[in-house]
Amino acid sequence: MRSEKIILHIDFNSFFASVEQQANPFLRGKAIAVAGKGKEAIDVHSIEKKGARVRVDNLPYMRSVITTASREAKAQGIKTAMATWEARRILPSLLIIPGDPRKYSEITSRMMTILRSYADAVEQFSADEAFADITCASGGDYLGATLLGERIRADIKRECGAYCTASIGISNNRLLSKLASESFKPNGFTVVPPEDALAFTASRPLQDFCGIGPRIVKRLESLGVTSIETLRSFPLSRLTHEFKSYGQFLFDAAHGRGSDLVSDDVRDPKSVGHSYTFPSNLLSHAEVRKNLLFLADRVASRMRKHGFASTHLTAYVRYEDFSGTGATKKFKEPICDGLEILENALKLLSPTIEVDRGIRLLGVTASGLTKLQGSFPLLHKESQTRKALRSLDKITARYGSGTWQRASTLSTEFKERVSGWHYDHEA
Amino acid sequence: MHEFLNDPVDVAVDFSGLKVRPQKVRWGNQTYDIQKTNLVHGAREGTKRIFYFSVSDNANFMKLRLDTETLEWRLVEVYAV
Repeated sequence: MRSEKIILHIDFNSFFASVEQQANPFLRGKAIAVAGKGKEAIDVHSIEKKGARVRVDNLPYMRSVITTASREAKAQGIKTAMATWEARRILPSLLIIPGDPRKYSEITSRMMTILRSYADAVEQFSADEAFADITCASGGDYLGATLLGERIRADIKRECGAYCTASIGISNNRLLSKLASESFKPNGFTVVPPEDALAFTASRPLQDFCGIGPRIVKRLESLGVTSIETLRSFPLSRLTHEFKSYGQFLFDAAHGRGSDLVSDDVRDPKSVGHSYTFPSNLLSHAEVRKNLLFLADRVASRMRKHGFASTHLTAYVRYEDFSGTGATKKFKEPICDGLEILENALKLLSPTIEVDRGIRLLGVTASGLTKLQGSFPLLHKESQTRKALRSLDKITARYGSGTWQRASTLSTEFKERVSGWHYDHEA
Repeated sequence: MHEFLNDPVDVAVDFSGLKVRPQKVRWGNQTYDIQKTNLVHGAREGTKRIFYFSVSDNANFMKLRLDTETLEWRLVEVYAV
């Protein structure tokens, strides 16, 4: 038995689009994309709650980006993070599907359950990716690891559906197992034992390594490093001089070395934030205030749900031309009320905000999180507010999010995100 | 045609072990024979558990919503070729 670990990385292929194609067989084989917002104001959950009737075909497209493209769409040039207008220009027949986060989160949780049933430790890396330490479960050798990987793949097919395929990579650390899983898609299975690590890494381009983004690649190219082999022969001292501590990571990556720690510890969040890109620009202070309150309530509600209050607040705006402004403030007393967050966010933004320029995005982030104290404030007004918030939180816990809303935000509606790390409905 | 809606429907189901599978859906004046259950997923609305059934026949995809508190079925999405 080997002394080093065996790490498996699993990554769903075209995740959101594959789940949609699994659910609806008439989308299979078609170029489809799930967009952050899809078509005008379609929010699957909100439509259900209101009992509205929305015909997708007749709706205009709204400002959004492609979250996931199906493999058929990718083959025709549609890429993740592409603006929907650009995607439609490349492929006018592209079907843009409104996202359904509840569906995707169930598939994520099925994947995690399957991995936990076999692995020694499992760490979720994103909505559709996870690492698993399978050292003991595989018997410590790569034949056992391969058989285990095949079993996991069969379980995913049975539990998630044949259309929800995943690529698997197995190696002795996280960096290599991720590189392996991403080297063959869709439905790939790549095993890289340590003795093959140098040859395997040499066969991959620099930008395929997790942690080497386009900017790092450009900086490396300016130093004459254009491949893993040239990076490997580049002196460590020059790398650390150029990239500081990151130089060591680059040097190790070139030699196929990386962390083998897979941790299933759930850590406390460092910050809670919400931002929103609007379908059309905001052009008045009243609109800014209303939408900022909606965001502030979401941030506050999430903090209280997890038992936190915040000592730092950041508010920011992005204008039509993608320039922006923002500021951060520190408080003596931690806050957890949406209204209080709003008032402070407005104070932060008011010296610099230029509403006439057209605001495309607003964001609020609470950081410096501290555990919420159970005691009630001495001042009558604050005590009453805290009591009201507790009652509202109880209503949310019983009936779900979106059950109550401040009267001043009744005409405001945000679509649930279909991107990123967490799903809004789980927050 | 791709439509999101929230219409009450009658659903005949088949129980197989712990699994529930819709067999027939009556929507308006029409009855649809379900041929395949493609995906079942759950969600929580507060303490309430909701199940969604993504089903299809030869020409239609339907997403059905079952409220486990009221046992009410709703048709929430239709896609027809």
